Amino acid sequence: MSGLKELVQGAEFIAKSMGVTLKTLVTEAPNTVQYPEEPVAMYPRFRGLHELRRYEDGMERCIGCSLCEAACPTGAIYVLAAENDPSNPVSPGERHAEVYEVNLMRCIFCGDCMRACPTEAIVLGHNFELAQYDRVDLILDKEALLNPPTPNVIIRPDA
Amino acid sequence: MSDWITITIDGKEVKAKQGELLTEAAARAGIHIPVFCSHPKLDPLGACRMCLVETEGRRGKMLVTACTTPVNDGAVFYYDSPRAKDARAGTMELILANHPLDCPICDKGGECDLQDQAMEHGTGHSHYWEEKRHKEKNYPLSDLIMLDQERCVTCWRCIRYLEQWEDKPQLGLFNRGSATVIDKFPDAELDAYTSGSIVDICPVGALTNRLSRFRYRPWRLEHTDSICTHCGMGCNLRIDTRDFRVRRNVARTNMAVNDEWICDKGRFANGFAFSEQRLIQPLARIDGELQPVSWSEALDRVVAGLKDVVARHGAASVGGIGSAKLSNEANYLLGKFMRGLVGTNNVDFREGSALKAERRGIPSLKAAREADLIVLMGVDPSEEMPVLANFLKRAVKRGGAPVIIVHSRRIELTKYDGVFFNPAPGEESPLFDALTKASLQARNEASPDWLAEVEVDEETRKAAALLAKAEKPFIIYGTDYAWGYGSASIVQALTNWIVAAGHGDRLGFLHSQANAVGAADMGLMPDLLPGQRPLTDAAARAQLEALWQTELSAQAGLGYSGMIASALGRIKALYIMGADPVGEKPGYQKELSSLDFLVVQDLFLTETAKLADVVLPAASYVESAGTFTSTERRVQKAPQAAKAVGDSLPDWTILMHIARRYAPEKADAWRTPSVEAIFAEITQAAPQYAGFTWENLGDSGRQWAWDALPAPREIVAYQASEPAPIDKTFNMRLVTGSLLWDDGNVFAATERMASLGRKGVWLHPADAEALGVFEGDAIAVRSREASLELPLYISPRIRPGTVFVPFSLKDAPVGELFDEYGPRTTVAVYRA
Repeated sequence: MSGLKELVQGAEFIAKSMGVTLKTLVTEAPNTVQYPEEPVAMYPRFRGLHELRRYEDGMERCIGCSLCEAACPTGAIYVLAAENDPSNPVSPGERHAEVYEVNLMRCIFCGDCMRACPTEAIVLGHNFELAQYDRVDLILDKEALLNPPTPNVIIRPDA
Repeated sequence: MSDWITITIDGKEVKAKQGELLTEAAARAGIHIPVFCSHPKLDPLGACRMCLVETEGRRGKMLVTACTTPVNDGAVFYYDSPRAKDARAGTMELILANHPLDCPICDKGGECDLQDQAMEHGTGHSHYWEEKRHKEKNYPLSDLIMLDQERCVTCWRCIRYLEQWEDKPQLGLFNRGSATVIDKFPDAELDAYTSGSIVDICPVGALTNRLSRFRYRPWRLEHTDSICTHCGMGCNLRIDTRDFRVRRNVARTNMAVNDEWICDKGRFANGFAFSEQRLIQPLARIDGELQPVSWSEALDRVVAGLKDVVARHGAASVGGIGSAKLSNEANYLLGKFMRGLVGTNNVDFREGSALKAERRGIPSLKAAREADLIVLMGVDPSEEMPVLANFLKRAVKRGGAPVIIVHSRRIELTKYDGVFFNPAPGEESPLFDALTKASLQARNEASPDWLAEVEVDEETRKAAALLAKAEKPFIIYGTDYAWGYGSASIVQALTNWIVAAGHGDRLGFLHSQANAVGAADMGLMPDLLPGQRPLTDAAARAQLEALWQTELSAQAGLGYSGMIASALGRIKALYIMGADPVGEKPGYQKELSSLDFLVVQDLFLTETAKLADVVLPAASYVESAGTFTSTERRVQKAPQAAKAVGDSLPDWTILMHIARRYAPEKADAWRTPSVEAIFAEITQAAPQYAGFTWENLGDSGRQWAWDALPAPREIVAYQASEPAPIDKTFNMRLVTGSLLWDDGNVFAATERMASLGRKGVWLHPADAEALGVFEGDAIAVRSREASLELPLYISPRIRPGTVFVPFSLKDAPVGELFDEYGPRTTVAVYRA
């Protein structure tokens, strides 16, 4: 084997592989997403920022049962329930969450809260933009949870 | 024990007591047969069928309910057999057939017998797919209790509790089959004073606490074993907190005290611990207004104010008022500070020297349960101590004890067999004289000469005969007869009767305040030193002087009302801790505002605190630790359960700070680091407490001996007080007394309970008719001193010719009416 033969063979391989590159460049659209200018599509079961969902009539789904709090392995959730005012109910039934807080500094996004929820009220959405300048902003209150920056994830329609 | 027998459960031999129920015998062997209807404190019923086991009968194996089956020697049971297991799984499936399974919103979820037993004994599936039956949910039985009929498993525990302990059948079962529901009887209220107990014993979430509804989940609660301080009974309870805040109170078992029951006041009235009305920072009068100041400024002002008064007018011009609602430690330190550092014996509390009472309280609460005769004089346990009232009802219904009652109202317990005397206020002592004579006659003893002219009638003879026959009577008198004008003669007269009947050593006084015995034990009385030793006892003084490293004066001080009355004279400064004299008698405003210096240490900005120069925010007993001595001399501890509201501090901490600033040279003696250490000092100062330590008080407390103080032994002649004069205008006699639902400062802080009870003046139907007034009318009650306006209630329980005005009503303090005849004055009653 001479050095010349190796050189020719090498050039051939490069040409071949560059051919694949050039062909793909023309035939396929780019996979890169221009984040943050463009949104990133998440897989349906991606677990991002928490959201509290409502029924279609606007009632809150959460009944303040605290099962999410009980299921949470890191103690990131705090729930304080209260009785509904029958004339101005927050949720269907007798009970609602007066206080609902998620501490994102503790949360490990395991999704156990979502699994424990009997009314599918707490869900982990697709929002992953969690950075904040202030630690206090990492504690989500009910207001923030009910009005997520991105629309609610509908797991399945209301029964 | 000799009557141990042997039974066989699942082939294993088990020791049991003859005749006990299979559930109890099995539990001792470690087999916990599931039950719903069975409860150790209720009669067996066999309603729920959850406890089915197999037994060998004469016709082969058969299923029986373990909770109603007494065991006999050689009996054979199968708990774990396939048929028994299948039967229990079937029962569970039937119970769950109509159960709503709304555990996520049910307050019982997490501590529910049905949840636990469904997991252990259920099959996990149901044969039923039909829609479940719908019944009343979210149905308030009263202001305190919520019923959910769908969750009910119809075990009857609530019904049986009300029948067997309260003797007030207020709940019943209605309809049949799977449509059966629990409900109130038509037109009847669920108003039993221990109704909250049915929440504790409900095995499911059918009955829940309305005041703490949805405010906790059981698994997130911190439990603190504590006691209740609403009355002198000292019921044991568990304070459940979350986030350092009180969520609910539940009963804690102490067989010597409250069994496993507490009353609704103890259970529900815990709002004082987190009320919006609480003082959260010290206040001082600056430019005539009470303004928030820092703790150090407030303490400096207190010390400067007291020192100034002592320098100008001497130590005897300073007084300290403690409270029978506060702990031993707080009262002990107030006494120690006043006597030891300030140098005055002007210390007292409202139920202190003013009360002509047996300072030992009652022999024991256990004695009430075992009594063969009950004697109540001027005391209404149903209103003052509902749990004790239930014990007495049991003694009547199960033990057959007759009840002798002497009371100015026809109290609830008069419904039982016995003798009821209804003397008008002022006529008590002649009645007791007659009873004394009758009792002496019954025992064939000679009457003293001064009883010669007293007449004995049929009823008194009957009462004397009952008392002569009784072996272990429970004999108590109460505040109604021991307080105010004429009480000295009434108490002497009733003591004479009981001594004449030979039961002098069983005569007890039912202290209605949580720590009335303890405050006296702490020496917070003008003539008593710690350990209830007289101030004149030189040896006691010497011992305390050594302990406190100070000198003590032997000059008796002024009492509660004496101090307040002298505020216009020689008393120039008062330190009031946990008392509200102005709230109880607005007229005291004149006296207290003429003081040079007034310090008030309290939970709330009371009417008295509004007059103060410095107001110190105290932490309630829930937020600080302390010991309390109940009316049966049981010293029990109440550890800190919740975080103190705002900047409030425990009473003992405040007193420590003040003492250290008051006498910096003696500051070392006032550096006791903890309540435990103060209690250790108390055990040295009060001989009855010797041997007690914070640790060995344990879960159920320790009693000091009944015979540590002497019992009355002799019949003493006395001068009966003249009753208040009746004239044309003031033609009705005033009767006062405590009702459970009042507007006292601590109780009123639970705002959701404000609507409970019937708060107003009470008249007999005949008197109301004569006056031409009807229930609900606004009625004026006028004495020679003042006038009150209140709604009218009409009841045959009131004695004709008397008008009943309860204590502690909002905006209508009955103390305002008192003249020189105090609570036994005469009044005019008319439509307002």
